[in-house]
Amino acid sequence: MAKTGIADTSSMTFGQKVKMFVNNNQAGVALILAALLYIITIICNPGSLNKTAFGNIILLTILLAIPAAGCTIVLIGGGLDFCVGAVMSATAVVTAQTMMGQNGHFIQTLALALLVGLLVGLANGITIVATGLPPMIVSMAICNVLTRLMYVFTGGSFAGQPSPALMQTVTARYLFGFVPNIVIYAVILFPLIFFILKFSRFGKQLYLIGNNETAARLTGVKVEKVKIISYIISGLLAAFAGVIGEAYIYGARMQAFDDYGYKALLAVIVGGTSFDGGVGSFEQTICGCLLMVLLSNWITTMQFSVPVQYIVNGAVLVALMALYNRSGAVRQ
Amino acid sequence: MQKIKDAFKRFYKQPAFTGFILFMIVLILNLIFEPPAKFFSLNYLNSLFVSNTPFLLVTLGQGILMLAGLLDCSIGMQVALVNVISIMTVQEWGIPIWMGWILAILGAIAASALIGALESAVGLPSFLCSYAMTTVIKGVNVLIMPIEQGKVPKAVYKVYHNPLGGIFPTAAIIFFAVLILLYLISRTKFWKHVYAVGGNRQNAYAAGINAVGTQMKASILKGVVVGIAGICLTLMSASGNPIQCEEYGMRSLAACIMGGMGWGGWGSIGCATFGGWFYVLISNFVYYLFTWLAKIIPGFKVSSYYNNLAADVIVFLGLLVTVITNKRQRKSLKQGINETLKQLSKEEEKEDK
Amino acid sequence: MIEMRNINKRFDAVVALQDAGLTIRDGEIMALLGSNGSGKSTLIKILAGVYGANSGEILMDGKKVTINSGFDSKNLGIATAFQEMSLIPTMSVIDNMLLGKEPTKGPGFVDHSQAKAEVQALLDRFHIVCDLDDYVNTLMPSTQYLLELAKAIATKPKVLLLDEVTAALHADEVDTAFQILRELKAEGVGMVYVTHRMKEIYEICDRATIMRNGQTITEAPVSELSLNDVVYYMTGARIDQNVGSAVSEEYNTEGAELMFEAKDVRLFPRIKDISMKVYKGEIVGIGGLEGQGQSEFIRSVLGSYHFEEGTVMYDGKTVSFKNPSEAVNADIGFVSGDRSRESIFKDRTISENLFAGRAVRGALFAFLSSKMVDKFSAEAVEKYKIRIGSLAHAAKSLSGGNQQKLAVARWIASQPKLLLLDDPTKGIDVHSRQEIHEILKGCAAEGMTIIVTSSDTDELISLADRVYIFYDGRVSGEFAGQAKNNENISAAMMGITSGKEEA
Repeated sequence: MAKTGIADTSSMTFGQKVKMFVNNNQAGVALILAALLYIITIICNPGSLNKTAFGNIILLTILLAIPAAGCTIVLIGGGLDFCVGAVMSATAVVTAQTMMGQNGHFIQTLALALLVGLLVGLANGITIVATGLPPMIVSMAICNVLTRLMYVFTGGSFAGQPSPALMQTVTARYLFGFVPNIVIYAVILFPLIFFILKFSRFGKQLYLIGNNETAARLTGVKVEKVKIISYIISGLLAAFAGVIGEAYIYGARMQAFDDYGYKALLAVIVGGTSFDGGVGSFEQTICGCLLMVLLSNWITTMQFSVPVQYIVNGAVLVALMALYNRSGAVRQ
Repeated sequence: MQKIKDAFKRFYKQPAFTGFILFMIVLILNLIFEPPAKFFSLNYLNSLFVSNTPFLLVTLGQGILMLAGLLDCSIGMQVALVNVISIMTVQEWGIPIWMGWILAILGAIAASALIGALESAVGLPSFLCSYAMTTVIKGVNVLIMPIEQGKVPKAVYKVYHNPLGGIFPTAAIIFFAVLILLYLISRTKFWKHVYAVGGNRQNAYAAGINAVGTQMKASILKGVVVGIAGICLTLMSASGNPIQCEEYGMRSLAACIMGGMGWGGWGSIGCATFGGWFYVLISNFVYYLFTWLAKIIPGFKVSSYYNNLAADVIVFLGLLVTVITNKRQRKSLKQGINETLKQLSKEEEKEDK
Repeated sequence: MIEMRNINKRFDAVVALQDAGLTIRDGEIMALLGSNGSGKSTLIKILAGVYGANSGEILMDGKKVTINSGFDSKNLGIATAFQEMSLIPTMSVIDNMLLGKEPTKGPGFVDHSQAKAEVQALLDRFHIVCDLDDYVNTLMPSTQYLLELAKAIATKPKVLLLDEVTAALHADEVDTAFQILRELKAEGVGMVYVTHRMKEIYEICDRATIMRNGQTITEAPVSELSLNDVVYYMTGARIDQNVGSAVSEEYNTEGAELMFEAKDVRLFPRIKDISMKVYKGEIVGIGGLEGQGQSEFIRSVLGSYHFEEGTVMYDGKTVSFKNPSEAVNADIGFVSGDRSRESIFKDRTISENLFAGRAVRGALFAFLSSKMVDKFSAEAVEKYKIRIGSLAHAAKSLSGGNQQKLAVARWIASQPKLLLLDDPTKGIDVHSRQEIHEILKGCAAEGMTIIVTSSDTDELISLADRVYIFYDGRVSGEFAGQAKNNENISAAMMGITSGKEEA
């Protein structure tokens, strides 16, 4: 006899079991889809199976995973940070203009970039917490302001490149001849992010807030403080990602990483972190990032025309969202 | 006198009150730069309506969705969709203009219905879903019209640009016609259901309302409004551009919020109207301000970058202001309860004596 | 006459109903009883069209019917008054009452004058005093519950489903409601009445269906079921007479340390003037009808609300906590009776739920190893006999009683000096309730000070050393020892002051 209240899988249909697997192992499904996409890409274009391309995938996944980590942290706490793309673009500009292709300015560049990230994070956090407005609207409004500010500062275009030393640390292939050096940044940053989410008191409080904010408050969590800190962390991570991102693209382009804003968010959600907060993890997000990168890869390989690329991008993302839909229909 | 006080009190409780206040403030700010004689002249009002009716209508459409508990970031791209369909169908297929317009409006309805279905029936999160659809619609637009092109016959767009009979701005007539239509709809059963579904979808469903059906109807209604907005845009610019008006999405959302709209079930078409006008007039004001500053501050150049920055800073500040005004509304609600209870306890004390 | 047969329902892997059944006859009030997790709410929601059964059949007057939505349910003449209320808070009273069946004239326009007349008549029948245009979220909870009931009856249903509708009503409001239910009964309406208040069953119901673990255990006329029988069918065990009805021994307050004192505190509108003393190691109960200020008082002590006047002394110091975080850091704990909204993190693991009390105090970026967290939680589970599958399961997998034990264990494991509980055993099955009482008594014996509010007189008598009764924002009675009995407490709840009078 099945005991009510305790899960019992023996009497479920196959369809119900698949549904349960998909819902509980979103990261795993993301990896499966990613692998499938990669296989399809290779079939369509066998030349793309080479060390450089492989290294590129690793690089891009890590580059996406850093701002996505910030998004994950904010989303778990019940908020939403749409700003990471704009912050990345802004700090990319800052990097190029401060370094001007010369070595030796790394400390200033980093300090300046992190300052931008800190200010944006503070603005987001304080505004969202103090006004109670929906986080997506606030962070979008703030990132619009940031973007416009960058245009005003640069007058629309700018000169400058990242320093050779910085580029070495990001794009040069050192390990095994194809793994890009950016992995070193990952080795330093990722454990830090895992610590924040899994092993720190802050992380525990964050999950509590996201899952039931009222209960968290009554249990004694300083909800506002924790939320603001989460936005600051997100801002700092996105700022740092912009610095190394500039090393990757080398160029002088405004709004270079704007699309990372919603790519990161999608990666987080596709990986399994809930839109409502309180559930999720960084390792799931990394799987989501891999999927997003391979998706872009596939789209580029298929050589779709620009408008078709737009359509495929949007449609695939809608499809992924539908697959992982949690809010569900009105009736169960 | 008491009657006026009561009427004011009721108006004060309305969600559109905040938007109304913001609108009045910004109207006065505008009058600083353009004295009433000039501002309220036919010429000025006409050009105000001609350039801004598309955005104002879009804001109304967004308002309809927000009341039903949905939203649509891609509403701007849909306006462009209407624009390109109305131009290209006439240009490539040689059909009469009015037919092209009808197809264009149907296109807007189709896009709105699709997004409505995704958000309502499938249950995808509104913001991300409509944001993804912005890219899709952008792609469709470019497929229909790869590069900017097209024209509208002068005889046709003249009707839009010049006041009818020399007295009534055509754009204003269109705007008010839509407003009257929405007012009539607001007196129906359907509209109550919209509020219910937006306010609490689960409970509306439990009350026997077809939640998905109501939200779909709201989406289609919004599609019609967006279609009309797109036609106005086409007449205004007399040309085609597949990737214009993208910013309408965020701005119409912000305008509705500034007008006092809540996220589902709270607010009214009045909020959307006042919010839209607030946005239009404050952009106006900023333009005048910068031009004036350029005159008195040497070396200060008015560039589009500064204008855009100002526009987005305004959106941000406007969001902040609504919180203050909303807090006041919530306080007045609370006060209302407290006063009732005070009165009740006073009556009890009187009885005890 | 409605008959539900062999109803099965699962939510993913959780079986909610297994071959459950229910019969509702015209002109009869059927009580539907069962502890949390028994499936009674699910069964009702299937009839209301909110959930869909996986298998089974529903027959109306002998004919098979399908209910796929709230709309279908209404069409069959079934009306539901929900426990969580189905009103739209941001809409007015008049809009809510007629939602879904607005009177129309012309092409869909709402007929305002007819709407007004209909709703006003309804409000009058229920003695509800409010403005038709008031937004529902500005009304008091008891008024909202009455509106919920009125709304269900307005549809002139053939069958009425009532899911714990009297939980938040005052005694006289309950009387009005029952009067109307009797009128409906005379008109031939069949009703299902779900409640945890045993007294009500004997007062208003004809028959009772009892459920346990998703199955229908038995159905019988109420006259043939004793209270003991009911509890037996609900839980499978006979209630331990001694533990359940034991009267707490009088606590000797001489020489005891005063741990907590509130003097003349006030918080408009619910708390007018309250003073109370609590000594170390005592269990003080606060009772009264719903909404007399008990809940607000507890939360103001916690720092969630703030007293406008008066002073609070705690642990030798005058305190005024600005938020719960400050109170928690001063060794105070809080357990709410509203589990799902206020104390359980349903998607987090049982381990994390238990550890929450420790997670809120200390350095924000300190390292907490999983070993430490799990060890802490395993000890708590063992000590308080919480029935779980595994520590890594989500808290939502537990039954209501075990969830509440989680919430209690969370705080007790941190050894607070003062533990505040707000109606902690509301809606919990009898055995879990007893276990929680035992835990609390054990803690008090070890020196913990406990303040607990309750809506259940028997609980107050058996659990608390001293009992304060709130009425209309003031203390209408303070009872201990022999004076702590049903008569005195009930009188004080009505505002009839006897026993100790407060100035």
